Amino acid sequence: MTEAQNQKQPLLSVRDLHVSYGAIKALRGFNLDVYPGEIVCVIGSNGAGKSTLMNAIMGNVKKQSGKILFEGKPLEGQSFQVVTKGLSLSPEGRKVFAPLTVYENLMMGSFPVNDKEKVKKDLEWVYTLFPRLRERRSQYAGTLSGGEQQMLAIGRALMASPRLLLLDEPSLGLAPIIIKDIFKELKRINEEGVTILLVEQNARQALLLSHRGYVMQTGQLVMEGDAKELLHNPEIQAAYLGTGKKAH
Amino acid sequence: MDTLIQQIINGLSLGSVYALIAVGYSLVYSILLFSNFAHGGFLVIGGYICYYTLAAMGHNIWLSGLLAMVGAGVVAILVERLAYKPIRERTNVTLYLLIASMGMSIVIENIFVVTVGGRFRALPPVIPTDPVNFFGLATTSAFDLLSLGMAVLFLAALQIFLSKTKWGLAIRAASYDLRTSGLMGVNVNRLISIVFFVAGLLAAVGGIFLSVRYTLYPQLGFITIKAFVAAVIGGLGSLPGAVLGSLILGLAEMLTAGFISSQMRDLVVFGMLVLTLLWRPSGLLGKQVSEKV
Ligand SMILES: Nc1ncnc2c1ncn2[C@@H]1O[C@H](COP(=O)(O)OP(=O)(O)O)[C@@H](O)[C@H]1O
Ligand SMILES: [Mg+2]
Repeated sequence: MTEAQNQKQPLLSVRDLHVSYGAIKALRGFNLDVYPGEIVCVIGSNGAGKSTLMNAIMGNVKKQSGKILFEGKPLEGQSFQVVTKGLSLSPEGRKVFAPLTVYENLMMGSFPVNDKEKVKKDLEWVYTLFPRLRERRSQYAGTLSGGEQQMLAIGRALMASPRLLLLDEPSLGLAPIIIKDIFKELKRINEEGVTILLVEQNARQALLLSHRGYVMQTGQLVMEGDAKELLHNPEIQAAYLGTGKKAH
Repeated sequence: MDTLIQQIINGLSLGSVYALIAVGYSLVYSILLFSNFAHGGFLVIGGYICYYTLAAMGHNIWLSGLLAMVGAGVVAILVERLAYKPIRERTNVTLYLLIASMGMSIVIENIFVVTVGGRFRALPPVIPTDPVNFFGLATTSAFDLLSLGMAVLFLAALQIFLSKTKWGLAIRAASYDLRTSGLMGVNVNRLISIVFFVAGLLAAVGGIFLSVRYTLYPQLGFITIKAFVAAVIGGLGSLPGAVLGSLILGLAEMLTAGFISSQMRDLVVFGMLVLTLLWRPSGLLGKQVSEKV
C-alpha cells in the first residue's frame, strides 16, 4: 500500500465497467482506483480499450453497466458536465484546434472557469510549465510541432483547473527526447497538486513516471500494482517493455 | 460611367444582403456539416413577422425588425431541436440532416401557403426608396445604400461576436472540431442553438430587405439558393468566403443586368457556380477537405 492509498477515499473509482460499440466489447468489467495526489497509469497494447476507458470517464461514450465514482459520487452526464466536476482530458492524438491560436486554445480549455483572475493565474502557470507555449501564443496551433501540440493539449486540459488530469497517450508519435521533457513536466504538475491518470502504450515511460499501474488486455484488468514492481515483472517486461518477445 | 457606378452600388447592396443569408447558412454548415435547406424558411418567417407586426403595431420598422429577428432566431432553434437534434444524436450521417432540412423547408413554406395564402405582399413604405445622388457620380436609391449599410453593420457585429466573446471562440473551435469542444466544457447543444439563433436572426434581416426588393411571398426563401451558390463560390464553411462569394455574386448579377440583359442574371450566377466547382471545388477561401479530419 502506498501512502496515498492509506487515505480512505479514492478520487476516482471505476467499478466493473462495461462498454460496447455495437457487437464489439471494448471494456469487460474494468476496475480501477485513483487516490488523491497519485499518478496512476493504465498500460495496454493498441486496441486494449484504454481510450474507451478515458472516454467513458469523460461521458463521451455511454457505459453499458458498472460504476464510475468521483469523490464517492457517481460521475454522470455529458462531457461538458463532467468537466465542471474537476476532471479534464488531454485526448489521444492531441486534438488541438488547428485554426485557433495557442492562446485561444488555452482559453477554450478554461471555458468552464468563470473567475477571470483564476484563468489569468492558470495561464501563467501553464506558460511557466511550457515556456514554448508562451513564445508561440499567437501562432496557429496547426503550425506547431507534434511535441508542442502535445504540450498545448496538456496545457489546455490544465486550464480547466482539474483535480484529476486524464492523459490519453501523451507520448504518441513523439521523439524520445521530447517525451522525456513532457513527462518531466507531468511530474511537476503532479507535485503541484494535480492527480494524474495516464493511459499509455509506452509502458516504460508510463511506469517510470507513475506510482501505481494497471495492465489492461482486451478490455479487462490483468494485473495491477506498484509501478516499480510492474516495471521489474518478467511478464510485463516480455509483453510490454520490449526486453523479451513482443506480445503482438 | 454613371451606370457602372450605379450598378456597382446596386451589386454590392444585393450582394451584402446575400451575405447576411450566406453567412448564417455557412455557420450552420461549418458546425454540423450539412446544407440546411430550411434556411430560406427562416428568411420568410422574418419577412412575415415584420409584415404583420408593422400592420399591427403602427409602422415602427425598428420594433418590427427586432421582433422579426428574434422570432426567426427562435424558430430556427425550434427547427433544430425538433427536426435535427434527434437525428444527430442517433447518427453521424449528415445526409439524414440534409433530407430533414428539405422536409422542414417544405413544411415552413406550406404553413404560410395554408395560413396567409400565396399572394405577393408589399411591405408598407417604412424603408425609404427615394433616389439619392451619390456624390454627384451616380444616382442610386436610398434603399440600396441602407441595405448595404445595415448588412455591413450586422456582419461587423457577427465578426465581433465571433472574435471577442467566449461563445464566439467556442463556435470557432466547434466549427473545427465539435466533439472536442464538448470536452472543453462547452454544452454542445446550447452552442448549436446559439448558432441557429444567429443564423435565423441574420436571415430575417436579409428577408426584410428582400421583401422590400422583391415583395413577400411563401416561396421567397428560394432566393437562398443564391446564398448557397455564394457560399460555395467563397468556400463552404468559411465566413469570409461567404461574404466574398456573396459580393461577387451580387456584382455579377447587377453588372449583367445593367450591361447585358436582366434575363441573363441567373445564367451568369449558375455559370459561375459551375466554373468554381470545376476550377476550385473547395471555393475561393475554402479549406481543403482533407484538412478536416
Ligand atoms: N468508435 C468506435 N466504434 C467501434 N469500435 C471502436 C470505436 N472505438 C474503439 N473501438 C474498438 O474498441 C476497442 C478498444 O479501442 P480503444 O479504446 O480505442 O483502445 P486503445 O485506446 O487501448 O487503443 C478496439 O477493438 C477498437 O477497435
Ligand atoms: Mg487509444
